Amino acid sequence: MQDYGIVLIFLLGGAATAIGALFVNWLVRPKRPAVGDKLEAYECGLPTEGPTWVQFKVSYFLYALVFLLFDVEAIFLFPWAVRFQALGLFAFVEMIIFIVILVIGLWYAWKEGALKWL
Amino acid sequence: MADLHLLAVEIMVAVFGLGLLVLGLLVPRSDRRGIGYVTAAGLAGIMVITFAMRELSGVFMGGYIIDPFSNYFKLAFLVAALLTVFCSFDYIEKMGFNQGEYYALLVFATLGMMLLASSGELISLYLGLELMTITFCILAGFHLRDPKSGEAGVKYILLGAMSSAILLYGLSLVYGATGTVVIAEIGQVAAASGSTPALTLGMIFLLAGFAFKIAAVPFHMWSPDVYEGAPTPVTAYLSVASKAAAFAALIRVFFGALAELHSIWVQLFIALAVLTIILGNLVAIPQSNIKRLMAYSSISQAGYLLLGIVSYSVLGIGAVMYYCLIYVFGNMCVFMAVTAFYNNAGSDEIRDYTGLSRRSPLLAAAILFAMLSLAGIPPMAGFVAKLYLFMSVISQGYIWLALIAVLMSMVSVYYYLMVAKSMYLGAVPEGSKPLQISPGLKVAILASLLILFVLGIYPDDLTNFAMNSAVTFFMP
Repeated sequence: MQDYGIVLIFLLGGAATAIGALFVNWLVRPKRPAVGDKLEAYECGLPTEGPTWVQFKVSYFLYALVFLLFDVEAIFLFPWAVRFQALGLFAFVEMIIFIVILVIGLWYAWKEGALKWL
Repeated sequence: MADLHLLAVEIMVAVFGLGLLVLGLLVPRSDRRGIGYVTAAGLAGIMVITFAMRELSGVFMGGYIIDPFSNYFKLAFLVAALLTVFCSFDYIEKMGFNQGEYYALLVFATLGMMLLASSGELISLYLGLELMTITFCILAGFHLRDPKSGEAGVKYILLGAMSSAILLYGLSLVYGATGTVVIAEIGQVAAASGSTPALTLGMIFLLAGFAFKIAAVPFHMWSPDVYEGAPTPVTAYLSVASKAAAFAALIRVFFGALAELHSIWVQLFIALAVLTIILGNLVAIPQSNIKRLMAYSSISQAGYLLLGIVSYSVLGIGAVMYYCLIYVFGNMCVFMAVTAFYNNAGSDEIRDYTGLSRRSPLLAAAILFAMLSLAGIPPMAGFVAKLYLFMSVISQGYIWLALIAVLMSMVSVYYYLMVAKSMYLGAVPEGSKPLQISPGLKVAILASLLILFVLGIYPDDLTNFAMNSAVTFFMP
């Protein structure tokens, strides 16, 4: 059970650090009444124009998803490219299969209009 | 170079799924009904090959187990997928969009279940689970114009994500306690070290995670809403195959990796089983929507299946395997009939089923006999399946548990027969027409009814196969 004691100390220590930081902040902060810009949701930068509850285009989401897909593809491609000679034919075939699957995905996204900005 | 031939079935399913996606892109929108037929043919072909390869066994890269147990479940998933496709033709055509994706997603969900049933280590297990869950999230919300379907999709994705997180936390604790993710090695380490608090905690999280997936009480609250809102064929597939897949993985993890802790988890499973059987059956009684009724009925079926886990014996696992397949046929049969009715009448309310026996004798008979099988009335196959499950718990001395299960089975007969009463004794509504059912669906319904009868009268071959596959879990 000794090991779990250490886990407990870590848990308590972690909680104490977070609570302690908030508490000390509260203790030493200047106490001014909340007026003016202090009530804004976003305190610095330009003031917001118009209502903030607007709908975003879902296209952003689709772009982000397709981007993520190819971003992650690169993570697999680079190590393989660096060790291309050593990994040999099997890895090459594997990579081709991987890329073919991704290309089908891209083709699908393209054809279904995910890349079109409406 | 690894033994790729072990993965033949999975590779075929993956290639087939991708092929369907491409087919959906190539075929013009007006001709996409054909994709359903292609899917049915392809799945049937893969099923035949899987059946021919059922004796194949081996371990791929140390963490992916191909054995009779996983082959059996793979066949069950393929059967369920095939029946789902039969039930989807008209339904999806009525929906009228994105047909290629629907069938491709169905195939990918099947692939996820196969990975789940075969995985011999925790990471591929999680991967299979996520593949299954995420495709089901999309499928549940597939009915774009129906807010209920959207609600089902969102509920499934939120609760699915939560349950996955719980499961993942359990997996990480088990890994932390034993230092390995391979299920067999976890079993060895746990046997050497005995039960440590971290391992026990991990086991409890795993249990909660799996209980979400099989919709056991008190982790069942997502299932009625999701089942009601999702497109009916998806509900059918979700209720049978994903449950069977979760049970397959649950058996692998708890009997393979956590066997050392079985004195603890058996107690927890008893509690889950009792709650699930009682609550599932009692809450089913007041339901007025047939899909909700079937949701609660499938919750209670999960409770019966848990009895097999509780018994912790070869008989228990064999009974779970047998029950899963019978459950696939029984539940799919009801859902195929429900889909056919919905395609004609546009309703899932039980009160609209009045006089169905005169409007379509086939559908009424299908619902009646499949429900009798689910309730466990001889000579239907469900009786044999329940008999094995109850025998397995009685042989371990839990007579009171079997008694509760039998009593609650009697309760289930009541609400199943209420549907039958409305179908056979109710008046035919004014101005109703005879129902139009497509020939494919008729054949599928008749075939599953036939199988329910045949397996009820000659259960030997299947049970022998199931018991022989179950033995592997108790070999040193």
